[in-house]
Amino acid sequence: MKLPRLAVLIAGVAGLVGQLGCSSNHDDTAPDGEPASVGTACDQRPSPQRTEGTLLALRIQPTFEGNPFVFGQPNPLAAGGSLIPLNFRFYISEVELLRGDGTTAAVDLVTEDGTPEAYGVHLFNAEEDDSSTVRVLAPVGEYSGMTFALGIKLACNKQDPANMGDPLSVASQMTWPQTGGFLYLRYEGRLQGGSAGPGASAQSLRAVHMGGDLVNELVPRVTAHGSLAVPESGALEQELTVGMDEIFKGAASDIDVSDASVGFRSTPESVAGERLRRGLPELHVFELMP
Amino acid sequence: MTSARSTIVAATLLSLGGVVGCSGSDAVSDSDPSSLSNSTSPAGFPKGTNRDQAPADNALTENRALLGKRLFYDPLLSRTNDVSCATCHQQAYGFSDPKPVSTGVDGRTGTRNAPSVANAAWGRSFFWDGRARTLEEQAAQPIENPLEMDLSLSDAVARVAAEPSYLDGFQKAYGEAPSEETLPKALASFVRTLVSGNSPYDRHLRGDDSDFGPQRQRGEALFLSEKCECFHCHPGGALSNEGYFNDGSYIAGGDTGRQQVSGRVGDIGKFKVPGLRNIALSAPYMHDGSIPSLEAVIEMYDAGGRGDPTTDPLIKPMSLTSEEKADLLEFLNSFTDPTFIEDPRFAP
Repeated sequence: MKLPRLAVLIAGVAGLVGQLGCSSNHDDTAPDGEPASVGTACDQRPSPQRTEGTLLALRIQPTFEGNPFVFGQPNPLAAGGSLIPLNFRFYISEVELLRGDGTTAAVDLVTEDGTPEAYGVHLFNAEEDDSSTVRVLAPVGEYSGMTFALGIKLACNKQDPANMGDPLSVASQMTWPQTGGFLYLRYEGRLQGGSAGPGASAQSLRAVHMGGDLVNELVPRVTAHGSLAVPESGALEQELTVGMDEIFKGAASDIDVSDASVGFRSTPESVAGERLRRGLPELHVFELMP
Repeated sequence: MTSARSTIVAATLLSLGGVVGCSGSDAVSDSDPSSLSNSTSPAGFPKGTNRDQAPADNALTENRALLGKRLFYDPLLSRTNDVSCATCHQQAYGFSDPKPVSTGVDGRTGTRNAPSVANAAWGRSFFWDGRARTLEEQAAQPIENPLEMDLSLSDAVARVAAEPSYLDGFQKAYGEAPSEETLPKALASFVRTLVSGNSPYDRHLRGDDSDFGPQRQRGEALFLSEKCECFHCHPGGALSNEGYFNDGSYIAGGDTGRQQVSGRVGDIGKFKVPGLRNIALSAPYMHDGSIPSLEAVIEMYDAGGRGDPTTDPLIKPMSLTSEEKADLLEFLNSFTDPTFIEDPRFAP
């Protein structure tokens, strides 16, 4: 039986690819001379791009209206009332550190013991504290920020979650219908009284589902600015903030998505997600803090 | 049925006699049809067998599974000697309980419906609130729960240790006397053998639609559609994402579910998403057993839940037609595995 959503997605979102591709100034070459991942495979045990480096641990901290965005608890809204996040998770992959001269250094996402993360992907899940730290093996040096894919590459998105291990299994809660790919970012929350502030909307505060399709490389790249001074030895711990205000603003934008496939227009949350995806180049969601 | 079952069990036990040492190794070969401990994953589950799902410190062996089965059916594990695991997890109902809430010792009742333990080998957390992270951790709790079996684990171990045949079984399975560690491990081992993978839905996923006609196909399409959004919580072969959601069945002032574990306000009314395998066998439904039939479950979701403001934002009125409801119901019926509830390997 042909699954309707699969058909819808395959039918296409052509024409969107070029708008959100990788930034143009990365050198795609790791300092050790090896080429960076070209994203053509989705290996559960990816070959490390680097064999040595300093462990850089980034604690992911969502923020909202200038304060920490506390999962599962009421977060006061400036416009009155409160917002309770019920589900918030997203994928990070294909990380590169930004040098001051505009070149980049591709790095591996690794676990606490330094081995590459499965499929080269990290899943942040606000419900699981263990997922709140993303780690990379970084070469010594000074950096002005990092870029990464906010989602997973097409080669992984095309996989059937039933055949995948974590973090791409069905337990990720990031699957669209079977064989229909993954969500890149998922947010749901409950608005208690009050109303959305400027730039947001009640819908964007309730649910945002951002994802790709099975044909096109739609995963957006984002940049987190901030200084990173990676030492020769030891480890470096910093914070990676996630501006929920920016996410809600992007999801509530009036970006025209009428050219998107039906799959991206079928529910309020998927429309919000597609608007966010298209709007990300103009948003400043992530920031590196000391 | 009983004689056939006895024959198989006896044959299994005979085949173990005199061969099994204290290491927990098995005399039953992997290909032996009477083997409990080496079942292929149901369709849509991670490839492999139920053995792959056992933790390193409790590898699934035939001896452990057989020991666990005996314990599962033994009321010895309750203070009053009249309640066993099988009292609330009955094979005829897909290893669930037909009562809204189960009855424990002295007629005591709890607040939650006993969920099916079919395919629990692939579970990530257990109980409606997910308070147990492993089957081993789960298995000990009903024994000690005052509303269920009301027996301390140490007393349960003492009772088991007083039975010579159990002592022998533990020696064969774990190479040691029963303990507060090995008793739950044995129970968990048996539960990992309860694999259900022979439903029309399994065959459909394998490409055989001989018992998956147009109505079931329409129901599946609805299930996977953004109109119904069932797939968000019930994806994959297990038909569960193993997460916690407030699906609209919560009523203010009732059991708050996951919130009792996490302490988060946002978790009020969230319960673990159950797998839907054999769902037609496991009425009544929801965490509190408050909905008597699958038809009524569909009606509740069609209405967008019971109206509590804590309901998940993805639960919305669906405005299904009567034909669509019938299609969905027929799809849910395709999850029934009739061989599972008659399999003598799982019976006492």
